[in-house]
Amino acid sequence: MLSLKARVLTAVVAAAVLGGAAVAYAANSAPAEVVDAETVGALRAGPRLQVLTNGLLSSVSASDTRGPRTISERKCDRAYAAGGTVACLAPVDALTATRLMVFDAQMNERKTVPLTGFPNRLKISASGRMVSWTVFLEGHSYATTGFSTQTGILDTQTGAVVSSLEEFKATVEGKPLTAADANYWGVTFTGDDNRFYATLSTGGKRYLVEGDLSARTVRTLTTNVECASVSPDGTRVAFKSAIDEDPKKGWRLSVLDLKMLRRTPLAEEHSVDDQAVWLDNDTVTYGLQRPDGVNDVWSTRADGTGAPALLVEGANSPAPLPA
Amino acid sequence: MSSRTAKARVAVASAVAVAAATAVAVTGGGNVASAATTTFTPAADTYVDNGSTGTNYGTSGQLGVDNSPVKRIFLRFTVSGLTAPVANAKLRVHTDDVSGSNSPAGGTFRAVSNNTWSETATTWSNQPAIDGATLGTLGSVSRNAWYEVDVTSAVTGNGTYSIAITSTNSDGADYDSRESGSATAPQLVISSDTTTTPPTTTTTTTGQSADPVLVGAGDIADSGSGDTATANLLDGISGTVFTTGDNVYPDGTASQFTTYYNPTWGRHKARTRPSPGNHDYNTSGATGYYGYFGAQAGTSGLGYYSYDLGNWHVVSLNSEISKSVGSPQEVWLRQDLAANTKPCTLAYWHKPRFTSGSNHAPDSSTGPLVQALYDNNAEVIVTGHNHQYERFAPMNPSGTADATRGIRHFVAGMGGAGFYGFGTIQPNSEARNSNTHGVLKFTLHANSYDWQFVPEAGKTYTDSGTNSCH
Repeated sequence: MLSLKARVLTAVVAAAVLGGAAVAYAANSAPAEVVDAETVGALRAGPRLQVLTNGLLSSVSASDTRGPRTISERKCDRAYAAGGTVACLAPVDALTATRLMVFDAQMNERKTVPLTGFPNRLKISASGRMVSWTVFLEGHSYATTGFSTQTGILDTQTGAVVSSLEEFKATVEGKPLTAADANYWGVTFTGDDNRFYATLSTGGKRYLVEGDLSARTVRTLTTNVECASVSPDGTRVAFKSAIDEDPKKGWRLSVLDLKMLRRTPLAEEHSVDDQAVWLDNDTVTYGLQRPDGVNDVWSTRADGTGAPALLVEGANSPAPLPA
Repeated sequence: MSSRTAKARVAVASAVAVAAATAVAVTGGGNVASAATTTFTPAADTYVDNGSTGTNYGTSGQLGVDNSPVKRIFLRFTVSGLTAPVANAKLRVHTDDVSGSNSPAGGTFRAVSNNTWSETATTWSNQPAIDGATLGTLGSVSRNAWYEVDVTSAVTGNGTYSIAITSTNSDGADYDSRESGSATAPQLVISSDTTTTPPTTTTTTTGQSADPVLVGAGDIADSGSGDTATANLLDGISGTVFTTGDNVYPDGTASQFTTYYNPTWGRHKARTRPSPGNHDYNTSGATGYYGYFGAQAGTSGLGYYSYDLGNWHVVSLNSEISKSVGSPQEVWLRQDLAANTKPCTLAYWHKPRFTSGSNHAPDSSTGPLVQALYDNNAEVIVTGHNHQYERFAPMNPSGTADATRGIRHFVAGMGGAGFYGFGTIQPNSEARNSNTHGVLKFTLHANSYDWQFVPEAGKTYTDSGTNSCH
């Protein structure tokens, strides 16, 4: 028998994280599972980890990530959550292209942005204000040649949408970018909701760029840094580093110190093709796919020590949900 | 430990007495077997709870069955490596060593036809239908003991089997899941008859050699070494070679056929019946493709044609031109299938109607071809485009499982090009691999077919099975 406490926790978490549908579950529950407001308040305090379970928006307890999992019916190819904002890139189906769906913490839909392409990356600034995404337009793999991506930003406060970072004025190694071969992917915002990092590919090189949203500019900082993710304290980015600078050989999950531009390879030795997520200032989490297509969420220390740990089986696209 | 073992043995004995009796069969015939026993632990196990309809318990160490709240257990076993018929199959479950795991009713065990439910995604809301025969029922179960149910009627050989446990008693039972560790995880114990009838060598050899082989893959030749590895496999497999498009990268030019395709798969050109892909069509009109294969690729510029192999009708189609209802290709296909007199049909082309690949979405524009094949009772569709292997259960044109008339779809994009990953795993996907180049071999029997994924040298992934024709 599952204990009463465990069952209540599940129901409450469903309500807190997954909104409307979960409220219906609670309403259908047997009377024995209805608990007083005080208990609900106490249980709501627990932090969660949002994931996708084979494309369904889900969450697990942050302290028991391999325990019971709340699974909603919301379908996403990629999801993220931060600062009270939840975002989802909806799957492409036979009739519709993808779209960005933005929700509040109670899963009330706030905004939908129609997009063309195949969902790939999705992030939200720590405040919950800036949502950024990458879709593949042609080709679908960073390991191939000839692909093209489109990367955009939504300001949830003003509703303003940057459809493509290619609209921004770019400076590459000190010179204005004139080539038409630019591709951007993997945006991550700093704490001021204006400065951001992203990857720019041009002339056969993959650059880490620093961008200024209000000035609509980007400039290159260094090379072979892809899918950066800013640490909570803003001092480092986790990223994937093409092995021997050749994406066909795979990527090493690494951390870059932004002040010294010093790189630290992390303990994960499998190729990581993901935009990693920071659980806290010491730990990053990321997805790895098994050969049969089942994904798992792993975590590893951000200083390169230790060994990777399996965080959530059969899941990907992790995002911490603070208490 | 010895006392626990003794206790368990007693418990098993009583459980057998309680369980619905099925005769312990030794397969008949003159040769009585020396039985070999093989034990399988679940590939997946979980339970669902109607008191928490959106929660998954797949990683729990416990499996609950109950009627208040309603809890149901789902177990899936992959049986492989059996070389002799199943004489007897027993499902063994162990009650958890915690207070309350005991119950006056251990549950009813039933077969489940759905084998594609996910251990970490199954909830009360999306649980598979419990639609199969009742296999047995356990009466009272105690804490920390083994119980077993005869499931011989459901477990007939190598393959995948799902079994559900339900209860009508409001005092439920709790069993140990596979996550509890190997000492207490559920077990499927199969005894097989190791003595087989001595093969009548002449008959067997003649029968097998008379059945044609169709072998191939798609997404094949580039500057890498994958096409070399798969061409080496073809060297050892006789029969007709099919391709499911993207024969040569990046652009299907005549010179790329000469440089990349010809030295590898080109060795088998004389027995190859290809189909074109989008990369072949990167050269306008796919002139490199039609020029290289000549008449073996059908009428130049059309690219759809058919041929017969034994009792099979085989159709090669072209996903790179119009496939819509009323298009020349769709009209031709319906006429071709209507004129066909063979009992079994297989078709292949490049872009998949069904796929879980992350790089190319399912292509609904191929739907009219799938519909025409379904309307004419075809058996198999093979495609490529996503650089990986995937096999689906037989499905109708909408993608719903259809055991009666459904077509089994394969994505065989593992012919040599660099691998792609998987996205959301689609309904009815039964097997997948994204790290092994190989070829897909069909043995086309008079009224059935065997499929076999043959891996490149040094790799071990495989997938095989048999289906009857409709």
